Amino acid sequence: MLKDFLEGKSLRHPIHPMLVHFPIGLFLLSFLLDLASLAFPSVPSLVRDSFYAMLLGLIMALVAAVPGFVDYTDIRSDHPGKRTATAHMILNFMVVVVYGINLGVRSSSLLDPKISMGPFILSLVGVGLLSVSGYLGGHLVYDQGIAVGRHKRHLPPPRDTIHLVPPIPGADAVFVPVMAAQQLRERETLRVEIDGQVMTMAKVDNQIFAFQEFCTHRFGPLSEGKFEGFNVQCPWHNSCFDVRTGEVTNGPAKINLKTFKVEVRESKVGILLSRETKSL
Amino acid sequence: MKWLLNFLKGKWLGHPLHPILVHVPMAMWPGALIFDLLSKWQIGGNAMVRLSFYAIAFGLIASVLAVTTGLIDWTGIKKEKPAWKIGLYHMILNLVVALLFAINLGLRMQNFRDASTIAGAPLLLSVVGTVLLIGSAYLGGMMTYHYGISVARMSKDKWRKIAEAGGANVPPE
Repeated sequence: MLKDFLEGKSLRHPIHPMLVHFPIGLFLLSFLLDLASLAFPSVPSLVRDSFYAMLLGLIMALVAAVPGFVDYTDIRSDHPGKRTATAHMILNFMVVVVYGINLGVRSSSLLDPKISMGPFILSLVGVGLLSVSGYLGGHLVYDQGIAVGRHKRHLPPPRDTIHLVPPIPGADAVFVPVMAAQQLRERETLRVEIDGQVMTMAKVDNQIFAFQEFCTHRFGPLSEGKFEGFNVQCPWHNSCFDVRTGEVTNGPAKINLKTFKVEVRESKVGILLSRETKSL
Repeated sequence: MKWLLNFLKGKWLGHPLHPILVHVPMAMWPGALIFDLLSKWQIGGNAMVRLSFYAIAFGLIASVLAVTTGLIDWTGIKKEKPAWKIGLYHMILNLVVALLFAINLGLRMQNFRDASTIAGAPLLLSVVGTVLLIGSAYLGGMMTYHYGISVARMSKDKWRKIAEAGGANVPPE
């Protein structure tokens, strides 16, 4: 599938972060060559070299944008990383426009010994925007864990969190039907929030299980995890838990997951939320 | 010394520093190969020979910092983890690659100012260096995207709050 390819599943890596090295490095090089042309105008062809570095950078930026956009569409709409990713994308779009203009402006004076002010300022702006955008890209991976461990999973992650309200607030035990659970395919997951409790619902071996969404190691998203037998594996640091009991089956996590009771009432699948699970 | 260590780990930035720095050699050295090939195909002439020289030099300067930060990040991984061994291979390969490009730069020193095309030996070094670099970078990516090294390390308190708000069991602080 094209989408899986662009997400780098066959490479077991996302492709976008591999490709972005090129525009970042090359735009930076062209900026340094601009500076060098101002400092050492006697050195030949610096202005031309800067142009070529920038041109290759722009080509690679456009190539990198394709898997970047595909990665963007895969982020859950209410994930804190979605807004970061939107800002990252808009900034990158601006970077491409600024460098497109920059190339056009400087293309007519490649033989100059020194770069003129107009294109130099455009380079400065480009590098500035790129730095912010690159920082946000790093934030997406290292803070928010976007695309970390994604290749291990075969089915797409949930697109949204389903928010549900218990019908009788304050009762000892309430049954909350989860409509979407009816249509779950094997190893597919839902991210559900009921009364503040965030959980993953997953169909494993034709049964539906519910357990807390956050891994007990560094709180990775288990609704985006990989399933093997009755185990769910956290996409971030590969902790494994038994979906039936919540027990840790493989570290680094040490604490068991909270699990929730799944019941079928009047042919509706739902969560039986009791006071104990709330206070646990 | 502690402040220097924290600086190199990227604590001031809230991000590991090594993956930021590696963008430079990772772009410069394959870029140098492309510029070498262009000069070989008689596109750009001496401007390409010079550009390739500058790219290799810029890559080498940045790689000194990249090696330092990478080494520090690696010492933070426990030896029994699979990522430790991958990190070791990643480091050895990178040292070989940096050495190859240092030799490469040395070979070009003499005549990059006038040559209109690149000679055989430096071109070969660019090819070998780039191939090894791609292999090594793949291992580096593996450490982040498969084993989650440095992922949610500096943001774990933020995630803990989100998990607690979601009613999750969490480990003691």
